[in-house]
Amino acid sequence: MSKVMATTGNTAAAIGAALAKPQVIAAYPITPQSSVVENLAGMIANGELNSKMVEVESEHSAMSVVQGAAVSGARTFTATSAQGLALMYEPYFRMSTLRLPMVMAIAGREMTSPETVWGSQQDSISVRDAGWLQMYVEDNQEILDMIIQGYKVAENQKVLLPINIIYDGFFLSHLMERVEVPPQEKVDQFLPGYNPQHVKFNPSEPMAVDPLTPGDILMEYREDHLKAAHKALEVIDDVDNDFGNSFGRYYGGAVQEYLCDDADIVLVTMGSMTGTAKEAVNIKREQGIKAGLLKIRAMRPFPETKVNEVLKGKKAVAVVDRNVCFGWNTGTLFVEVKAALNRCDDISLVPVIGGLGGADITLNHFTNCIDLLQKTSDYKKYHKCIWFKKGGELHEVS
Amino acid sequence: MKYRDILMEQEDLVSPGISACQGCGAELCLRTALRVLGKNTVVAIPPGCLAGAGVVGWNYDNGLKIPVHITLLDNTASFLAGVKELYDYLDEDVQVVAIAGDGATADCGFQSLSGAAERGHNIIYICYDNEGYMNTGFQRSGTTTKGSHTSTTPVGSLIKGKAQHKKDMPMIMAMHNAAYVATLNPAYMKDFVSKLKKAMSVKEGLSYLHVCSPCPTGWRFNSDLSIEVARKAVKTNFFPLYEYENNSFKLKKVANPEPVSNFLKLSKKFKHLDEKDIEEIQAHVDEKYNNLVNLAGENIN
Repeated sequence: MSKVMATTGNTAAAIGAALAKPQVIAAYPITPQSSVVENLAGMIANGELNSKMVEVESEHSAMSVVQGAAVSGARTFTATSAQGLALMYEPYFRMSTLRLPMVMAIAGREMTSPETVWGSQQDSISVRDAGWLQMYVEDNQEILDMIIQGYKVAENQKVLLPINIIYDGFFLSHLMERVEVPPQEKVDQFLPGYNPQHVKFNPSEPMAVDPLTPGDILMEYREDHLKAAHKALEVIDDVDNDFGNSFGRYYGGAVQEYLCDDADIVLVTMGSMTGTAKEAVNIKREQGIKAGLLKIRAMRPFPETKVNEVLKGKKAVAVVDRNVCFGWNTGTLFVEVKAALNRCDDISLVPVIGGLGGADITLNHFTNCIDLLQKTSDYKKYHKCIWFKKGGELHEVS
Repeated sequence: MKYRDILMEQEDLVSPGISACQGCGAELCLRTALRVLGKNTVVAIPPGCLAGAGVVGWNYDNGLKIPVHITLLDNTASFLAGVKELYDYLDEDVQVVAIAGDGATADCGFQSLSGAAERGHNIIYICYDNEGYMNTGFQRSGTTTKGSHTSTTPVGSLIKGKAQHKKDMPMIMAMHNAAYVATLNPAYMKDFVSKLKKAMSVKEGLSYLHVCSPCPTGWRFNSDLSIEVARKAVKTNFFPLYEYENNSFKLKKVANPEPVSNFLKLSKKFKHLDEKDIEEIQAHVDEKYNNLVNLAGENIN
């Protein structure tokens, strides 16, 4: 039987990680992630979790410790946020390019400056091209479930890539929700132990791990990496399906559609704002407006085909980013969606930025946004970026 | 097994064809260390001279006959901490060893090493100190000694070589209360082997071995003089041989130490030094050595 508890996102992440039974954990505290580490340390101190935990002196070392363990064949876990992720970048890149599967939770936080500690997607989105898989989740249940699913995706022999499970700092990391904790035996059945064959760091089978590699061979490594990331799209869907069959919760895989089939207007969201946006869709549906929502779960690999299938033929689409894409004057997800829709010029595609540095994204923002989309199918008028301002107002920025 | 027998009979674990510069102190240190450490060992080598010489592997071949990984320049100790944690979890006894240059140890790798020493992971960390970034063209590092002519501390009309004294890594590691700290020198192989064996016997905590590694190419002396340069470093107290364990120091005393100029004059990186410069270096050497004498107390032999 599942246990039902009211818990924060960070606790859900720690429980999810513990259920996956990592052999080695290393982490360094940072707001808003810290209680993930504290929870895991507590479980180990109480004998509830049999993992080696290394309380490192920096995030750079956190990723390095789990890298050493993973090269030697361990299942590993760590978690971080913002500046910690930035400090980790060097071994972070290497984790994926050495094809070492692991799960790292990111409690998303705005990047400094101005100095800030609150929620955003700017940290994780800024490292989207470092070869990891990146999944964004909406609520605390999804955090727990996706950490378990994450190992199954990452360790798949066709994938062998590390994965980030990303949830908005404070909005999820610190707020309590109802969460079902599956029993350990069922998780064990769903997620067998990890037994890597592609890398060894053991005297019984001597191997040089990562010798100096010429460009022609390096190109083959990169090509395989890209293929594996592409393959992960299928695996993410399959694992979602298997998980649903075992635990009764289906998330839709790489994307989740909400009332999209007959919709003229679609909000595209990522992360915790999705719940609010779904509520706005419900309100507008009651008013007879054909609104829908597309939640992007996989940012890497990007589900280009699915996004295309869902949005093709829609009149107006707003892509809402809790991050910015420097140099494009839009959010990053907008750029990705636009690239995926490169042959759909008839859609009025509107970039929206909101909720940076922990600013609220409210119901009024989304209802106003749907009103704006409904008023126009004039692409040219509304291609400028809309900013969600305080009090639910929309502000057009050229 | 006597040290000579170890050096003569134990298998060389470096792959055939691997070679650093002629007379390289680091290569001698690597080959000797691996002969002593044996096959139940995994090795991490960060970027530096040994990695550059192909010791991790290149040209489609492995560089060692035992597992080896090129760590990042700044994460060798924390990477190996993770390796050791897994072997502890699995209850398998594997020697986990770093062979790193001074830049990867004293400069950008220092935080990771400091953390690993504080936490006491049971790894053997060997630093081959050739006093600079010799693999990338002889730039200065934190362990470059005062006055050294390097490509980033050139001898010009205003400034002549490095302005600062070197960072004292073995002493810093002793102050971390590492399980075992020692200085090693390739001109004193019996001592070298016995210190390595002592590090291998440590089953709790980190061992830090600091090796004097003369660099013919960077220090600019003839490659047949490497051992002579290394020996003079000891004979002049420029590189004292000592150990630290259980809160106490043990110092090997040099009978009738020679003036430091006998060491300095062998390398062209010091050739611009005038009498006053050499006096200052001598004073620094004497001060450091006297500190060691005080710390060692009765443990001087």
